[in-house]
Amino acid sequence: MAADPRKAGPAAPRARAARRAAWARASRPWLLLAPALAVLAVLLFWPLVRVLLLSFQDYGLRQINTGESNYTGLDNYREILGDSFLWTTVLPNTVGFAATCVTLTVVVGTLVALLLQRLGRAWRAICSTAIMMAWAMPAVTGTYVWIWVFDPLNGVVSGGLDGLGLIEPRETNWFTDRWSFYAIATLNVVHHGFPFVAITVYAALLTIPRELPEAATVDGANAWQRFWHLTVPTIRPVFMVVTILSIIWDFKVFAQIYLMPGGAGANPDVLNLGVWSYIESFSRNQYGLGSAIAVLLTLLLLAITVVYVRALSKESDEGDAP
Amino acid sequence: MTRRTSTAGRIGIAAAVTALLAFTLFPVYWMISSAFDPEADHRGSEVLPSGFTLDHFSHVLDDGEFGRYLANSALVGLGTVLLSGLLALFAAVAVARFRFRLRTQVLVMILVVQMVPLEALVIPLFLQMRDLELLNSLIGLTIVYLAFSLPFAVWTLRGFVAAVPREVEEAAYLDGCGWWGMFSRILLPLVAPGLVATSVFAFIVAWNEFVFAFVFMQDDSKYTAAVGLHRFFGQYSTDWGAVMAGSTLITLPVLIFFVLVQRRLAGGLAAGAIR
Repeated sequence: MAADPRKAGPAAPRARAARRAAWARASRPWLLLAPALAVLAVLLFWPLVRVLLLSFQDYGLRQINTGESNYTGLDNYREILGDSFLWTTVLPNTVGFAATCVTLTVVVGTLVALLLQRLGRAWRAICSTAIMMAWAMPAVTGTYVWIWVFDPLNGVVSGGLDGLGLIEPRETNWFTDRWSFYAIATLNVVHHGFPFVAITVYAALLTIPRELPEAATVDGANAWQRFWHLTVPTIRPVFMVVTILSIIWDFKVFAQIYLMPGGAGANPDVLNLGVWSYIESFSRNQYGLGSAIAVLLTLLLLAITVVYVRALSKESDEGDAP
Repeated sequence: MTRRTSTAGRIGIAAAVTALLAFTLFPVYWMISSAFDPEADHRGSEVLPSGFTLDHFSHVLDDGEFGRYLANSALVGLGTVLLSGLLALFAAVAVARFRFRLRTQVLVMILVVQMVPLEALVIPLFLQMRDLELLNSLIGLTIVYLAFSLPFAVWTLRGFVAAVPREVEEAAYLDGCGWWGMFSRILLPLVAPGLVATSVFAFIVAWNEFVFAFVFMQDDSKYTAAVGLHRFFGQYSTDWGAVMAGSTLITLPVLIFFVLVQRRLAGGLAAGAIR
């Protein structure tokens, strides 16, 4: 074609037009993606880098006002990791609380999903509406409601227990003790968190073909065997998703702790990583130290997620092998 | 399966349903009934409120300025919904309809980004917004919430866009539509249900969020509802009737929203989790 001079003339602009069209085609997805990627880059990636940079600095009021950096190497990490407060209070609070909440959320959510499956249509509608109402309650207002419910003087629980003669309201304050504080926080978080698990697992249960449990029943499997050997393996991916999401949500709980009486720093016994990071930065103006705590929280979450995903995929590989 | 259930099984199910309803509805009931109870502060364990009054509501709306806080929250929520819907739809079309280099990487990145604990970003985002002088503004807050709701919205809408048959698009081209005409007249109406689901999610994220609004908003005329409630509680911590009235005002819109869209929301979530 190039050997024919008569065709070379009109072919050149046509080729250019084709190239331009190809370039437009290739760039269109990127043009469409550009605004979203720009937002994520500026508001998620850059802050993520920045919190890491801040964690290596002694960044206080002075640096905030002048904007200059003040690198001190690993000093912040040394200070946090060398502090027994982290090991005896903050870390046990964070990990213990999250482990309890995740377990309860997933177990209660799954039980409710199994219950929904056994109900008739009308009762299922009633129950799922009730579940939606628990889910819809914002964390902030939900926390205030639970504080009110457990209010030492006039709350419904202390009033009820007082009526039974079990406690003396004036001498009982559940918010000062670390264990009862976290028991109330657990109730709050599970109440808010289990609806997501219940609805998601219920939707997954609907995808299991009806014939499977029926065949298993004919084979003599009892309810527990059917659940453990049939239902769980079939909807394992969904369990994985809800568990990982619950872990992420429950590790970084902030408002539900911060808003409780004493949770905003007045009672150091009940701090978790999120609230500790906030208090070090915004109440004590040690933004570098606060950033280091935030980085620790992120790394902890990352490690748990990776280990969990690894364990599950390994387990399912072994399960698949004959 | 229900037909084979024995009497004992029926009693067990009835007990489970009762426990479930009590656990899920009790806080909502206690909040609303305390908000209308004239003697809320000394209610104790009285199951029924001692009477009916709107005093608590007029107190939080007049003295607590809850009207303004709710309006601020609604503005931020609507801004987040509109922006995230638009940007997410563009991005979803890109990843669902085009084959291009790095496409998989972009998808994986969007999935991974959802795992970042946003609470860890309070400090850098606070400094960033401070440098941009967007600290005390509803726009700054809207932009931050946009970043929070975007990954989920892109991921969900991707499924809806992919579900639209290519033939429908091609028919539109044959009828003389340009790409933009096809997008606005064909694709947009077909993915509308997905947009509803992501909009609900984005609105709830913005409406419920506390930490960032608490750190960013220093001027009390700019408080969102959640922050306003916190400040109000700081001032009137023993006025439980008023605190519950404020909580009711914040909770009710979300509650009604959730119940109305529950079927679509559950379906969309399940689809997203299984896919």
